[in-house]
Amino acid sequence: MLSRLLRTNEFVIFVILVVLSIVVGMINPVFFSVSTLFDILRASIVYFIMAFGLLPIIIAGGVDISFVAIAAMTSYTTHMLLLKMGYQGGILTYYLIACAMGVFAGLLNGFLVTRFNLVIFDVSLAAYTMWYGFTLFFVGATANFDLPQGTVGYYANFLVTAQDPVVGETGLHISIIYVILIGLFIWWFLNYTTLGRGVFAIGGNREVAIRSGFNVKRILLFVLALMGVMSATAGVTQAFLSRYFNPVIFINQPLDVLASIIIGGAAITGGRGTVPGTVLGVLLIQVINRALILTGIPVEWQRWVVGVILILFTSIPALRERQAKRVGHTTELTEAD
Amino acid sequence: MTEEILRVEHVSKRFGGVIALDDVSLSVQTGQTCCLVGENGSGKSTMIKVISGVYTPDAGDIYVNEHHYRKLTPLESIHAGIQVIYQDFSLFPNLSVAENIAINQQIASGKQLVSWKEINRIAEEGLAKIGISLPLDAIVRTLSTADRQLVAITKALLANARMIIMDEPTTALTRKEVTALFKLIEELKSRGISILFVSHKLNEISEIADRTIIFRNGKKVLDQDAKHLDVKTMEYYMTGRKIDTDSILIEEISHPSAPLLYVKNLKLSHGFFDVTFELHPNEVLGITGLLGSGRTELALSLFGELPADSGMISISGKEVKIKSIKDAISHGIAYVPDDRIREGLFLEQSITNNIVVSVVNRLIKSIGLLGRKPVRKESDDWIQKLEIKTPSGDLPVKSLSGGNQQRVVLAKWLASNPKILILNGPTVGVDVGSKAEIHELIRGLAREGMGILLISDDIPELLQTCHRILLMRAGRIVQEFKRREITEKTLNSELVGAPLSATRGKRIG
Repeated sequence: MLSRLLRTNEFVIFVILVVLSIVVGMINPVFFSVSTLFDILRASIVYFIMAFGLLPIIIAGGVDISFVAIAAMTSYTTHMLLLKMGYQGGILTYYLIACAMGVFAGLLNGFLVTRFNLVIFDVSLAAYTMWYGFTLFFVGATANFDLPQGTVGYYANFLVTAQDPVVGETGLHISIIYVILIGLFIWWFLNYTTLGRGVFAIGGNREVAIRSGFNVKRILLFVLALMGVMSATAGVTQAFLSRYFNPVIFINQPLDVLASIIIGGAAITGGRGTVPGTVLGVLLIQVINRALILTGIPVEWQRWVVGVILILFTSIPALRERQAKRVGHTTELTEAD
Repeated sequence: MTEEILRVEHVSKRFGGVIALDDVSLSVQTGQTCCLVGENGSGKSTMIKVISGVYTPDAGDIYVNEHHYRKLTPLESIHAGIQVIYQDFSLFPNLSVAENIAINQQIASGKQLVSWKEINRIAEEGLAKIGISLPLDAIVRTLSTADRQLVAITKALLANARMIIMDEPTTALTRKEVTALFKLIEELKSRGISILFVSHKLNEISEIADRTIIFRNGKKVLDQDAKHLDVKTMEYYMTGRKIDTDSILIEEISHPSAPLLYVKNLKLSHGFFDVTFELHPNEVLGITGLLGSGRTELALSLFGELPADSGMISISGKEVKIKSIKDAISHGIAYVPDDRIREGLFLEQSITNNIVVSVVNRLIKSIGLLGRKPVRKESDDWIQKLEIKTPSGDLPVKSLSGGNQQRVVLAKWLASNPKILILNGPTVGVDVGSKAEIHELIRGLAREGMGILLISDDIPELLQTCHRILLMRAGRIVQEFKRREITEKTLNSELVGAPLSATRGKRIG
């Protein structure tokens, strides 16, 4: 039992995370502080949410990059709409409207994929370009800082706070709770619902999934709509954490999210992927981010390091297979050796 | 009288201008093993698809349990208790044994939530039904072919199968695993489950069949009790011609002074040990053993894919180092893999491109361009020489039958003019007519001076082509037989009688 845990991908990432933290902490002790921890978690929040939305699609054997554009479109459009109406209330209305738009955008992807039998990646490439274009052209092209009365101060709505000798009071933002709830939901959905197992079945062998009686179209529609909701949630959350709405938010981030999922042990070809792995993958990329700042390594290195880690993690399954091929043998033989 | 589970009457099916099934009738009794035999393209697969409801026949009637169907849908077929185990087993490679077995029930129950306890219980019960144990949480990808087949059979049984159609079930199994499968089929029979066993391996059919039906060119040419049917008669009905295999004489060859290939104390950890043998020009040397005996690893070492850890290899009297596939090719070694689909061919590419791929360097003109004419000539020569049946070399390889695909792999390597040819299971999945032709080709190549290493566990194949046969067990060569000293029976018992190695239920890797 234990030895199997030690061999999981999750454990490997966990070890890398710990080793990396120790090394960075030795170079710059500031790393070992509650404020750094809170800081990393705060930066991770929206990446967690987007990664949770993307994970089921990856497991089903698809790749989507449009989720960032959907995040931008839904959050920015919602904001401009409410601003025009003179809305001064709380944040919940934002989430509701943005999520409704997210469902629509996700279902649009899903409709194109299932109705015309298109590849998810192709559709998402079009949607990525289209939604950013739509936002910039029809809604607005400049960042907007006018927040409604009811949302002022939300950025500093902390779950717990701590005193830091250097930066003063720091806190853990309340939206980390949403992250935990969403993560638990996705984990439950993937492992304990027939729909979720269908996602794995499609990623494993789509033909057999159809033959077994899974409603493949319905499953794909569901995961794409789910992604739309997660994207909208991430977009709105990020806007209130940074206190402004940006029409091109996350435009350079889709590959970072994808990378954290792959580092977390998901197969880009589908059929494999876990929520704990994804959580660790997101954290690893964020810790590397932080580490490079704290150790004074130039930012360019960050991309390089993430690249190297990606190579490492994508080659682990291949290496294992090779090993299996070489020792794919009888016990008899091993004893004789 | 036993009752009929299935009766097909006067079924015809045509695709465009091709008649796949021509007025075929057949029936299967409860608890009977009925073997459906025929060469590739004889209509076997079409018949399976008609019975399972995938194809609607152009004419004819289907009765399942005395219930008449003019048009049988896949769902009706499944509800009537017909289950097909396809060659790919229709499993999810990324899911566990338990989930693969129980997934159909999960879907059929309409439950939205998954209970892992329930899934494990269903799987355990299913496996217990056929009296085998497999690790429930093992990922199917990591199982051996035989174990995957067991998962597929268990899954079919749980769907309340009354008749199981097995499509070429023994293709990827070793002799030992085939024996185990046959025992399981007997067990299923005793519970009143009918088996429609589709195959072209005649030796196996005469072992398992209660009744044998033979198709040729879309027509049923033979349907009789299997008791008095021998392999020769089956071959005759299948191919429409007599294939003489027993009288093939493997002439003794006089060994010249220097062997073509000499291997001494070759070792690959976890693969094989102390392997010493020599191969002469004009000689076909068989290497046999169970799966996991090290035979494939030995071939891969000689071909540089898994370079040996220690030992000596010499070719034509000169010691050589084989550290990569490139080394092997430059020393005149060619290797035809057992998995031709995955390792030997580019299926989407044309026949011509596949044939010339290993000799592109030779065909390139001085300025580095590849001329169309020499390419065409090279490919046409081989298509003619190996009698590859195709209207044009421009067609993709996937348009060819198994036997012809195998010939393209051979052509690809023969084009590189090898001195030593290593063949790994050259006729796996090839029908009996093509098989005889490939055997003739192998003998012909040896006569022309090539040294051939033939790795196979198909005993008649070894006897029909090899001058000498080495038996491997647990990574060592344990015995050497000269062709004239051995019969099918003795070799068979030597091979199968070996201590159990590839055990049931054990995971690979």
